[in-house]
Amino acid sequence: MNRLLVIGYGMTAHRLVEEVRSRDRGNRWRITVLGEERHEAYNRIALTDRLRGVREADLKLRGQDDRGIQVRTRTRAAAIDRRAHEVVTAEGERLPYDALVLATGAAPARPPLPGAELRGCYVYRTLDDVNAIRRAAETAPGKRAVIVGGGLLGLETAEALRRHLGVRPHVVEAARHLMPAQLDPAAAELLATGLGRRGIHLHAGLPLRSVDAGPDGAATGVTLADETRLRADLVVFTAGTRPRDDLAATADLPRADRGGYLVDEDCRTPDPAIWAIGDCAAIHGRRTGTVAPGHHMAATVAGHLTGNPTPPPPLSPAEPSTVLKLPGVEVASMGDPHAAGDGTIELTYAHPAPAPRYAKLILDPEANTLRAAILLGHPTAYPRLHALIGRELPSPAEQLLT
Amino acid sequence: MIVGGGPVGHRVAERLCHHGHEGPVTLLDAEPGPAYHRVLLPALLDGSLTPADLNLPDLNDLNDLNDLPGVTVRHGVSAAGVDRRRQEVRTTEHDRLPYDTLVLATGARPHLPPVPGLRHASGWLIDGVTGLRSRTDCARVRGEEIVVLGGGPLGVEAAAALRRAGRRVTLVHPGPYPLDDRLDAGAGEVLTRHLAGLGVGLELGRIAAEVRPGKIALDDEWLLPWDTLLCCTGVRPRTRLAEAAGLAVRTGVLVDAEGRTNDPAVRAVGDCAEPGGSLYDGWEQAETVARSLTGASAPHGTAARRPVFRLRVPGLTLGVLGEGKGDAGDEIVTYRDPARGRYARLSLDATGRLRAGVLTGLPQALATLTQLYATDTPLPESRLALLLGRPAPRGGPLPELPPEAVVCRCNNVTKGALAAAWEEGARTREALAEATRATTGCGSCADDLKVLCREFAEVEA
Repeated sequence: MNRLLVIGYGMTAHRLVEEVRSRDRGNRWRITVLGEERHEAYNRIALTDRLRGVREADLKLRGQDDRGIQVRTRTRAAAIDRRAHEVVTAEGERLPYDALVLATGAAPARPPLPGAELRGCYVYRTLDDVNAIRRAAETAPGKRAVIVGGGLLGLETAEALRRHLGVRPHVVEAARHLMPAQLDPAAAELLATGLGRRGIHLHAGLPLRSVDAGPDGAATGVTLADETRLRADLVVFTAGTRPRDDLAATADLPRADRGGYLVDEDCRTPDPAIWAIGDCAAIHGRRTGTVAPGHHMAATVAGHLTGNPTPPPPLSPAEPSTVLKLPGVEVASMGDPHAAGDGTIELTYAHPAPAPRYAKLILDPEANTLRAAILLGHPTAYPRLHALIGRELPSPAEQLLT
Repeated sequence: MIVGGGPVGHRVAERLCHHGHEGPVTLLDAEPGPAYHRVLLPALLDGSLTPADLNLPDLNDLNDLNDLPGVTVRHGVSAAGVDRRRQEVRTTEHDRLPYDTLVLATGARPHLPPVPGLRHASGWLIDGVTGLRSRTDCARVRGEEIVVLGGGPLGVEAAAALRRAGRRVTLVHPGPYPLDDRLDAGAGEVLTRHLAGLGVGLELGRIAAEVRPGKIALDDEWLLPWDTLLCCTGVRPRTRLAEAAGLAVRTGVLVDAEGRTNDPAVRAVGDCAEPGGSLYDGWEQAETVARSLTGASAPHGTAARRPVFRLRVPGLTLGVLGEGKGDAGDEIVTYRDPARGRYARLSLDATGRLRAGVLTGLPQALATLTQLYATDTPLPESRLALLLGRPAPRGGPLPELPPEAVVCRCNNVTKGALAAAWEEGARTREALAEATRATTGCGSCADDLKVLCREFAEVEA
C-alpha cells in the first residue's frame, strides 16, 4: 500500500481525494488529509449562502467513501522533510508519504494599513470568517458595513449583507472601476448604477487610507485617500489573496515569481513525489485562483497517481469566466476580455435605458470566432455565449444576445 | 442679383435656371476665374487635383438650355454697396445695377487666432502666414516646413495633403485629437494614428503662444520652425456689405427659413448667413431660396436634416452621419478593430434607425449606412455583417448548444456528458448533479440544467 499525504482540505483537495478514490480500483493508495480548519471540506464558492442562513451542514461537500481515508482536521503542516519523505506537523508529529500533494490554497490579503487589525475588521475566506461576519452584521448597532474590494467576492458579500442582514454596505475599490479584471469601464459603470439603485454604495478609484477606531478600540469607520470618511460597524476585506506557499522554504522547492509552488503542466514540482494543485500552484508560473482550474488539476494529478495519465477533458477556452447574478443586475465575463492587442476586434451593444443592457464581444482578427465576452443584463445569453467561446459565431451576434 | 461667386452663389444661379426663373440673373464674382469647389482646395496642395479640376460647371452653358434670359456672370467685380431704397447694387466698377431680389452669398473669411506676432503693426499678416480659402491661398504655401494651426476638417485635410507632397508638417490643435468636435474618442484615435502614420507631427492639446518670422512658440514653450504657417482656425461670415446696408447681422446675416433678411427683397445664403454652417447647409439653403423665388414647391423630406460629413484624406475613410457624437440613442453599437484602423459607433433609435454614426476604415459600411440614414430605413438585424459588408448570416431559430459546450463551469461538465448521464437514467436535475457533479459548485448553472432536462425530454419524446 502507498501512502498519499494531502496538505490542505479545501475544494481541490476534496476533489483530488474523490478522484483518486474513484479511480483507484486496486485500493493502492492509503490517503491522509491534513486540514487546518475545524471543518471538513465545504463549498467555499457558495459561502455567501451562509450569510442568508444556509446551514453549515448544507455547505459541506459530499462525504468521501472512507475506504482508506483519514482526514485530520485542525492539523497544520509545518515543514516537509524531502529526504525522509515525511511531513512535520505543527505539533512535531512526523507523517510519512510516498506521494505528497500540496493543496494549501490561498490566504486572504489584509492590507497593511493603519487599523486593518482592529476589532470589527474581517477577512473573507473560510467558513469561520463568514460565521464571524454574520454574527457581527447581526449585532451591528448601525447596520453599516464597508467592503474593501469591488471584485466578484466583494459585490456578492455586499449584496448578501444588504439583502439578508439588513446592512447598508459601502464598497471601496481602489481601481478605477468595479471588477477590473473582468469588466470594461462601460459595463462597470452600468453595474455601478444598478447596484446603487439597490442601495449598495460605491467608491471606486479611491484606495483606503485607514480603518478608524472608536473609544472602545473597535473599528467605527474608514478613511479613503481623498479624506472621505465612511462610518462602519464592520469592515470586510475581500481584495485579493496570496498563495500559501510557505512550505516551499522548508523543502527547498521553487516558487513562482508572483508566489505559488512552481509546477509543470502535470502539476508536479521538481521533486517527482510532490505535487501542487489549486490556488497554491503556479503552472509554469501562472496561478489561476478559480475553482474550475483547481478541479482540473485535481483530476490531472489523480490520473497520474492511479496510473492513467490521460489528461482530463480540457477546460473551456471561456475560462476564466465569472458570473455575478444579482436580480436585475446580471454580469458575466468569459474568456479574457483584456487580452486585446493581437488584432482582435471588439463589438459592443449598449442599451442605456430603461433596463440597461450591455454586451461586448471580442472576436478574432477575421471577425469569425468569439474569443471573449462581457455581458450585463443579458442573463439568457450567458450559457450560449460561454459555449461559443473559441468557436465560430453560428448566427447573427445580435440574435445570440436576445 | 447674386453677390458672391463661391459655390453657394453659383448654386443659387444654377438652381434658379433649373426651376425656370423667368427674369435675368446677374452674378458678381470678385474672383477673376471661374467658380470652384472650395472644399476640394486641400487636394491642390499635393497635386492630386489641378486647379481646373475644381471648377464648377460654367453657368453660361445653362443659357443654351432654354429660352430664359439666363445668367450673366461678371468676374472680378464685387459689390461696394447696396441701396435698398432704390434696390440698386453699387459695384467696385462704379456701376449701379438694379435688382428685384438681391441674394447675398458673400461667404466667409478665414479667422486667424489672436496670437502675438502674427501680424505687422499695420495689421497685415507677416510673410508666410496664410489662411486656406482660395486658390490664391494654396499658391502661397511654400517651403519645406509647414505648421498647420487648427485640426478641423480643413486643417486635417491640408496637413495630410502637404505631408503626401513630401513637406514636413506639424498640426497644432487645442483638442485631445483632431476633429474632436465631430468625433468620439474611438474615431479620434484612429484618425490620430493615421496622421501619425503619414508622418504628420501632432501637437495636440496645444495652442500657439507667439509667432516670430520662421518660428512659432506653443503654449508649452516648444518651438517649431516654419516656412509657411497655415491657419485653418475657422472662418467668420463676411457681413460688411450687409451691415453697411443696414441689414440685421449678428455673427452672420440673420435670415429666416427661406433665407430672407429683415428686408424681404434681400436674401442671404451660405457662410455669410446665420444660421450658416458647412457647405452642406449652403447647398440646401441655395436650393430653398431658388425654389422660394421661382415658386417651386418645397423639396421632399425637409422635415429632418440628415447631415453627412466625410473627411477627404486619401487612404482613410472617415464619415460622420448626423450630429453630435452619437451618445444619445436607444442602442449604441460600437465596432473596434484598431489593427486595421476600423472603428464605428452607431446610435440607433428603438426602431433600429440610425440617428448618428461615426465610421473609420469601413468604406462599404459607410456607403450603406449613408443610404440607410438618408432614407431613414431601419438597419438590418446583423449589425456586424453590415459593418463588415458581409452577407447577413441566416437568422432562423437559435442553434442548440453543441455537445462540447461546458454547462457547469466549476466542474467542467459538458452538455455531452449530461446527455450521456440522462441516457443512463439520470432523469432529474438532482440525479444529473449526482452523476456528473453539475450545479454542485457555484450553482449558477442550475437554471441551464432545467432547460437542458426539458430539451433532453423533448428529444426523447
